[in-house]
Amino acid sequence: MSNNPPKMTASHVDVYYGANHAIRDVSIDVCQEDVTAFIGPSGCGKSTFLRSLNRMNDTIPGARVSGDIRLDGDDIYAREMDVVQLRARVGMVFQKPNPFPKSIYENVAYGPKIHGLAQSKAELDRIVERSLSRAGLWNEVKDRLSDSGTALSGGQQQRLCIARAIAVDPEVILMDEPCSALDPVATARIEELIHDLRGRYAIVIVTHNMQQAARVSQRTAFFHLGQLIEYGDTSDIFTNPRQERTKDYITGRYG
Amino acid sequence: MSKSLVPHVPVSAAEVAPHRPTDWRSDAMERRVRRRYAAERRFRLMGLGAVVVSAGFLAFLLIVMIAQGHLGFVETRVTLPLDLRQARLGLTAERLRGPGADLALAGAGLERAVDAAANRAFATEGGAALLSDGAWLRVRDAVKRDPHLLGRPFTLDLPVASAIDVAAKGNGTPAAERTVAALGAHLSRGIARDFLTGADSTDATRAGIWGALKGSLLTMFVTLALAFPVGVLSAIYLEEYAPRNRATDFLEVSINNLAAVPSIVFGLLGLAVFLGTLHLPRSAPLVGGLTLALMTMPVIVIASRNAIRAVPPSIRDAALAVGASPIQVVSHHVLPLAAPGILTGTIIGMARALGETAPLLMIGMRAFIAAPPDRLTDPATALPVQIFLWSDQVSRGFVEKTSAAILVLLVFLLAMNGVAIFLRNRFETRW
Ligand SMILES: Nc1ncnc2c1ncn2[C@@H]1O[C@H](COP(=O)(O)OP(=O)(O)O)[C@@H](O)[C@H]1O
Ligand SMILES: [Mg+2]
Repeated sequence: MSNNPPKMTASHVDVYYGANHAIRDVSIDVCQEDVTAFIGPSGCGKSTFLRSLNRMNDTIPGARVSGDIRLDGDDIYAREMDVVQLRARVGMVFQKPNPFPKSIYENVAYGPKIHGLAQSKAELDRIVERSLSRAGLWNEVKDRLSDSGTALSGGQQQRLCIARAIAVDPEVILMDEPCSALDPVATARIEELIHDLRGRYAIVIVTHNMQQAARVSQRTAFFHLGQLIEYGDTSDIFTNPRQERTKDYITGRYG
Repeated sequence: MSKSLVPHVPVSAAEVAPHRPTDWRSDAMERRVRRRYAAERRFRLMGLGAVVVSAGFLAFLLIVMIAQGHLGFVETRVTLPLDLRQARLGLTAERLRGPGADLALAGAGLERAVDAAANRAFATEGGAALLSDGAWLRVRDAVKRDPHLLGRPFTLDLPVASAIDVAAKGNGTPAAERTVAALGAHLSRGIARDFLTGADSTDATRAGIWGALKGSLLTMFVTLALAFPVGVLSAIYLEEYAPRNRATDFLEVSINNLAAVPSIVFGLLGLAVFLGTLHLPRSAPLVGGLTLALMTMPVIVIASRNAIRAVPPSIRDAALAVGASPIQVVSHHVLPLAAPGILTGTIIGMARALGETAPLLMIGMRAFIAAPPDRLTDPATALPVQIFLWSDQVSRGFVEKTSAAILVLLVFLLAMNGVAIFLRNRFETRW
């Protein structure tokens, strides 16, 4: 077990979609310095749980979250928590790349603009360059920042979305199967990128790819039918799972 | 074959029954292919036929309207020799340069002088009766432009009376035809400026479309100013904020039904509410615009909701995930992407309102209005109502005016649709 301090703590979280009990009593700590992977068969509630960490579930009619989720000790579902700021602090990258139909520059500059993070155009330019560099995209797009973000390839679009999330200086980045729509080369780039970003941000990544989870993460959580079956260091989970169901899943006998 | 993870177990007898391979070249198969091709061809021909029929109707309408209507933009003129020195008008070139010129001209008896000149020049052909009632106004304007005309003989082409005008365009009574033949080379043609700048008149040669056009413009302005913001805001609220429950379902059904209500019902509503209860002025573009706004609003709401709903949810998620507030999501992302659809819907609704006659008749915009409206509360009429009124006139001169007015309305509609297409292309973004 790593002994970094927890960035986010979730305890006894339940999520319901109307009558559908999608997440059952999940407790988990996300550490500052780590990449945490969520694995499990489709429909087991990984995305649902991930979305409850930045309250994106609020936008789904009928979705209800109970339990306690804290960011740096503050209850994110508390009345005085501002959702808008929370989502800036806990960024998200989606399964399908979803750049705005605006220029590459505008895509990255949008977040800093609405949060007033830059005092001048020069500062905004710097934020855009830094974010695109961290996302490993700067060299590819620096000459065509005014082109539409939707004109990039799938892998570039996904890195643009990561740059967009980084631009508002989040503390946590949630990634929901960020490589599932990408080819192996683009996937490798994203994995490298996650590696580079590690430590700067707490990263949570949902993935269907066992090798990917093993490669990029330090901690792994295995979900099954809405329950957290096992959570621990990635090396332990993959070499020495304590639960039979975890073992079945990672060896491919299951799911 | 590698060993499968899942052992294969036959589930039904059908699975193990002997299987005959498909013969793609059998007679039955080829017949089926031929039938498929024939069906395709039939369907295409039917579609083509439908397009030809509708295009034919449109072309027929346009040809008839242009054939009749273009004469409405043209007037027949007769060349009249004038010598105002004999008329003793008491006008001097100096007085016409001063500030009292209009007053002096109005009281000088120019009309009588022009009639006298016509009686002299065309004694046998009908004299002053040849001229349009408004002919002397042309003389007045000419004198005002050039006061030296007071001091020397000159000739001026003046509009003829409606009966002669119709005859000169080949559609008159035998008597008028004879007069036209007698006048011969004294007649000429020119652009009917009065038609483009004047308002309604009982005399077809003086009747103009500008009054009705301006009435329509003012009415459309009121309609747009009210229906667009209210319609778009309602759509945004219903799509983005309203909870899904019985009340909003009911609202949705009501709006859809409202869009299908016959327009005359809105006229009755306007009559009862705006005139009956609120005592707004009758026949005013303000009331016409309010009434048409009621009719246009549901169209805009429905079009805007569809456009907003068509914005991919992934864009909303993306904006929310970087910390955009709901209002920012709407104003920065949803509205720009929905704009083409919203604008198209708005212009379709406005075009429908522009062509609407029945509700305007109900609120009194059918009165005879001889001056173009200047304010929203001035009595006015509107293009379709003017067309309706003129088509009802017995005087033959109004036939071509009616067609000409229809042409003006069509051009107005075309312009609006052009704007719609332009805006759609301008704002179209792909994702
Ligand atoms: N928007 C939604 N509305 C209703 N039910 C949902 C919604 N999203 C997910 N669910 C349900 O919640 C459960 C978990 O789904 P999800 O979190 O998407 O699983 P995963 O990401 O692990 O594949 C599933 O049973 C799914 O049907
Ligand atoms: Mg998922």
